[in-house]
Amino acid sequence: MAEDKAAAILAALGGKGNIVEIEPCITRLRCEIEDGSKVDEAALKTAGAHGVMQQGTVVQVVVGPEADTIASDIEDLL
Amino acid sequence: MSIRVLSPVSGLAAPLSEVPDPVFSQEMVGPGVAVKPNGGSACAVAPVDGTMSTLHPHAFVVTTDDGSRAVLVHLGIDTVKMEGAGFAPHVVKGERVRAGQKIVTWNPSEVEQQGYSSVCPVVALEVGRQALSDVTDDAGVSAGDPLFTVDS
Repeated sequence: MAEDKAAAILAALGGKGNIVEIEPCITRLRCEIEDGSKVDEAALKTAGAHGVMQQGTVVQVVVGPEADTIASDIEDLL
Repeated sequence: MSIRVLSPVSGLAAPLSEVPDPVFSQEMVGPGVAVKPNGGSACAVAPVDGTMSTLHPHAFVVTTDDGSRAVLVHLGIDTVKMEGAGFAPHVVKGERVRAGQKIVTWNPSEVEQQGYSSVCPVVALEVGRQALSDVTDDAGVSAGDPLFTVDS
Protein backbone atom coordinates (compact mmCIF):
# COMPACT_ATOMS: atom_id res chain seq x y z
CA MET A 1 0.00 0.00 0.00
CA ALA A 2 2.76 2.42 0.92
CA GLU A 3 4.38 1.84 -2.46
CA ASP A 4 1.04 2.63 -4.17
CA LYS A 5 0.88 5.90 -2.26
CA ALA A 6 4.43 6.77 -3.28
CA ALA A 7 3.60 5.98 -6.92
CA ALA A 8 0.43 8.09 -6.80
CA ILE A 9 2.29 11.04 -5.26
CA LEU A 10 5.09 10.72 -7.82
CA ALA A 11 2.56 10.71 -10.68
CA ALA A 12 0.78 13.77 -9.23
CA LEU A 13 4.11 15.61 -9.10
CA GLY A 14 4.41 15.15 -12.86
CA GLY A 15 6.24 11.83 -12.93
CA LYS A 16 9.85 10.99 -12.32
CA GLY A 17 11.11 13.15 -15.17
CA ASN A 18 9.78 16.19 -13.32
CA ILE A 19 11.58 15.52 -10.03
CA VAL A 20 14.79 17.37 -9.21
CA GLU A 21 14.94 16.46 -5.53
CA ILE A 22 12.71 15.06 -2.82
CA GLU A 23 13.57 15.49 0.83
CA PRO A 24 11.44 14.29 3.75
CA CYS A 25 11.03 16.43 6.84
CA ILE A 26 9.00 14.73 9.60
CA THR A 27 5.57 15.65 8.27
CA ARG A 28 6.15 16.68 4.69
CA LEU A 29 7.98 16.03 1.46
CA ARG A 30 9.96 19.01 0.26
CA CYS A 31 10.09 18.57 -3.49
CA GLU A 32 12.03 20.53 -6.07
CA ILE A 33 10.60 19.99 -9.50
CA GLU A 34 11.33 21.00 -13.11
CA ASP A 35 7.92 22.24 -14.19
CA GLY A 36 5.52 23.53 -11.56
CA SER A 37 2.58 23.47 -13.95
CA LYS A 38 2.69 19.66 -14.05
CA VAL A 39 1.79 19.38 -10.37
CA ASP A 40 -1.74 18.12 -9.79
CA GLU A 41 -2.77 19.31 -6.34
CA ALA A 42 -6.13 17.50 -6.39
CA ALA A 43 -4.40 14.24 -7.28
CA LEU A 44 -1.90 14.75 -4.45
CA LYS A 45 -4.78 15.09 -2.01
CA THR A 46 -6.47 12.02 -3.47
CA ALA A 47 -3.16 10.21 -2.93
CA GLY A 48 -3.40 11.04 0.76
CA ALA A 49 -1.76 14.46 1.15
CA HIS A 50 -3.21 16.52 4.02
CA GLY A 51 -2.15 19.68 2.29
CA VAL A 52 -0.06 21.02 -0.58
CA MET A 53 1.94 24.25 -0.66
CA GLN A 54 3.50 25.27 -3.93
CA GLN A 55 5.77 28.19 -4.72
CA GLY A 56 6.98 27.87 -8.30
CA THR A 57 9.23 24.84 -8.56
CA VAL A 58 9.18 24.07 -4.84
CA VAL A 59 6.28 21.95 -3.65
CA GLN A 60 5.67 20.87 -0.09
CA VAL A 61 3.41 17.85 0.19
CA VAL A 62 2.12 17.34 3.73
CA VAL A 63 1.78 13.61 4.27
CA GLY A 64 2.10 13.22 8.04
CA PRO A 65 4.61 11.19 10.02
CA GLU A 66 5.15 8.62 7.27
CA ALA A 67 7.01 11.22 5.19
CA ASP A 68 10.34 9.44 5.64
CA THR A 69 8.91 6.13 4.41
CA ILE A 70 7.11 7.67 1.45
CA ALA A 71 10.22 9.61 0.43
CA SER A 72 12.35 6.47 0.40
CA ASP A 73 9.63 4.62 -1.54
CA ILE A 74 9.63 7.44 -4.10
CA GLU A 75 13.44 7.33 -4.28
CA ASP A 76 13.12 3.62 -5.12
CA LEU A 77 10.85 4.55 -8.04
CA LEU A 78 13.17 7.20 -9.49
CA MET B 1 -7.53 5.98 28.57
CA SER B 2 -5.94 9.34 27.99
CA ILE B 3 -2.37 10.50 27.70
CA ARG B 4 -1.00 13.60 29.33
CA VAL B 5 1.33 15.46 26.98
CA LEU B 6 4.11 17.48 28.61
CA SER B 7 5.73 20.64 27.37
CA PRO B 8 9.12 19.83 25.84
CA VAL B 9 10.47 23.29 26.64
CA SER B 10 10.09 26.12 29.11
CA GLY B 11 8.38 29.17 27.70
CA LEU B 12 5.00 30.61 26.83
CA ALA B 13 2.26 28.27 25.60
CA ALA B 14 0.19 29.67 22.73
CA PRO B 15 -2.40 28.45 20.22
CA LEU B 16 -1.01 26.45 17.30
CA SER B 17 -2.69 28.98 14.99
CA GLU B 18 0.08 31.48 15.88
CA VAL B 19 2.82 29.32 14.33
CA PRO B 20 4.22 30.85 11.09
CA ASP B 21 3.91 27.61 9.10
CA PRO B 22 0.56 26.52 7.61
CA VAL B 23 1.33 22.84 8.22
CA PHE B 24 1.01 23.57 11.93
CA SER B 25 -1.24 26.64 12.06
CA GLN B 26 -3.86 24.89 9.89
CA GLU B 27 -3.48 21.67 11.87
CA MET B 28 -2.68 19.69 8.70
CA VAL B 29 -0.96 16.94 10.69
CA GLY B 30 -3.01 17.27 13.86
CA PRO B 31 -4.02 19.55 16.73
CA GLY B 32 -1.75 20.68 19.52
CA VAL B 33 -0.16 23.63 21.25
CA ALA B 34 2.80 25.87 20.42
CA VAL B 35 5.38 26.86 23.02
CA LYS B 36 7.48 29.98 22.51
CA PRO B 37 10.67 28.95 24.32
CA ASN B 38 12.66 31.06 26.72
CA GLY B 39 16.07 32.09 25.38
CA GLY B 40 19.37 30.40 26.11
CA SER B 41 20.68 26.87 25.86
CA ALA B 42 18.16 24.30 27.04
CA CYS B 43 17.29 20.65 26.75
CA ALA B 44 14.00 19.69 25.10
CA VAL B 45 12.32 16.77 26.88
CA ALA B 46 10.06 13.94 25.72
CA PRO B 47 6.35 14.89 25.86
CA VAL B 48 5.11 11.33 26.55
CA ASP B 49 6.38 7.84 27.38
CA GLY B 50 7.02 5.75 24.29
CA THR B 51 9.42 5.01 21.48
CA MET B 52 11.43 7.57 19.54
CA SER B 53 9.88 6.67 16.18
CA THR B 54 11.40 9.56 14.23
CA LEU B 55 14.41 11.59 15.23
CA HIS B 56 15.93 14.51 13.39
CA PRO B 57 18.20 17.02 15.12
CA HIS B 58 15.48 19.68 14.99
CA ALA B 59 12.36 17.55 15.46
CA PHE B 60 11.20 14.22 16.81
CA VAL B 61 8.16 11.99 17.19
CA VAL B 62 7.42 9.81 20.22
CA THR B 63 4.93 6.99 19.60
CA THR B 64 3.08 5.60 22.63
CA ASP B 65 3.67 1.98 23.61
CA ASP B 66 0.34 0.74 22.26
CA GLY B 67 1.06 2.54 18.98
CA SER B 68 -2.22 4.43 19.15
CA ARG B 69 -0.83 7.93 19.47
CA ALA B 70 2.22 9.83 18.31
CA VAL B 71 3.36 13.26 19.44
CA LEU B 72 5.53 15.49 17.29
CA VAL B 73 7.86 18.11 18.75
CA HIS B 74 9.32 20.55 16.23
CA LEU B 75 12.11 22.80 17.58
CA GLY B 76 11.62 26.03 15.69
CA ILE B 77 10.21 26.60 12.21
CA ASP B 78 12.07 25.72 8.99
CA THR B 79 14.96 24.64 11.22
CA VAL B 80 15.57 21.66 8.91
CA LYS B 81 17.59 24.25 6.95
CA MET B 82 20.05 24.51 9.85
CA GLU B 83 21.07 20.94 8.97
CA GLY B 84 21.51 19.90 12.56
CA ALA B 85 23.95 22.66 13.52
CA GLY B 86 23.27 23.69 17.11
CA PHE B 87 21.13 20.64 17.92
CA ALA B 88 22.60 17.83 20.03
CA PRO B 89 20.35 14.74 20.38
CA HIS B 90 20.87 12.54 23.46
CA VAL B 91 18.92 9.52 22.23
CA VAL B 92 18.73 7.46 19.03
CA LYS B 93 15.83 6.51 16.79
CA GLY B 94 13.96 3.49 18.14
CA GLU B 95 14.99 4.11 21.74
CA ARG B 96 12.47 3.86 24.58
CA VAL B 97 12.02 7.21 26.31
CA ARG B 98 10.15 8.38 29.38
CA ALA B 99 8.06 11.56 29.51
CA GLY B 100 10.33 14.33 30.74
CA GLN B 101 13.54 12.60 29.58
CA LYS B 102 16.11 14.91 27.98
CA ILE B 103 16.07 14.47 24.20
CA VAL B 104 17.83 17.34 22.40
CA THR B 105 20.01 20.19 23.65
CA TRP B 106 19.57 23.35 21.60
CA ASN B 107 19.54 27.12 21.94
CA PRO B 108 16.37 28.98 20.89
CA SER B 109 18.26 32.30 20.98
CA GLU B 110 20.71 31.02 18.36
CA VAL B 111 17.83 29.80 16.20
CA GLU B 112 16.33 33.30 16.32
CA GLN B 113 19.74 34.84 15.53
CA GLN B 114 19.90 32.66 12.40
CA GLY B 115 16.61 34.21 11.30
CA TYR B 116 14.21 31.39 12.16
CA SER B 117 11.29 31.33 14.55
CA SER B 118 12.13 29.26 17.63
CA VAL B 119 8.50 28.45 18.42
CA CYS B 120 7.92 24.76 19.13
CA PRO B 121 4.75 23.11 17.83
CA VAL B 122 3.72 20.11 19.96
CA VAL B 123 1.26 18.11 17.86
CA ALA B 124 -0.90 15.04 18.47
CA LEU B 125 -0.44 13.49 15.04
CA GLU B 126 -3.44 12.44 12.97
CA VAL B 127 -6.18 12.85 15.54
CA GLY B 128 -9.18 15.18 15.49
CA ARG B 129 -9.25 18.33 17.54
CA GLN B 130 -11.94 16.78 19.78
CA ALA B 131 -9.33 14.28 21.01
CA LEU B 132 -7.65 17.09 22.96
CA SER B 133 -8.66 18.33 26.40
CA ASP B 134 -7.16 20.22 29.34
CA VAL B 135 -5.36 22.46 26.84
CA THR B 136 -2.93 25.10 28.15
CA ASP B 137 -2.28 27.65 25.41
CA ASP B 138 -2.05 31.01 27.13
CA ALA B 139 0.30 30.62 30.08
CA GLY B 140 3.94 30.27 31.01
CA VAL B 141 5.08 26.64 31.28
CA SER B 142 8.22 24.85 32.38
CA ALA B 143 9.64 21.86 30.51
CA GLY B 144 7.74 18.84 31.85
CA ASP B 145 4.55 20.75 32.72
CA PRO B 146 1.33 19.35 31.20
CA LEU B 147 0.28 21.05 27.93
CA PHE B 148 -2.78 18.99 26.97
CA THR B 149 -4.40 15.60 27.27
CA VAL B 150 -5.10 13.41 24.25
CA ASP B 151 -7.65 10.58 24.16
CA SER B 152 -6.27 7.23 23.13
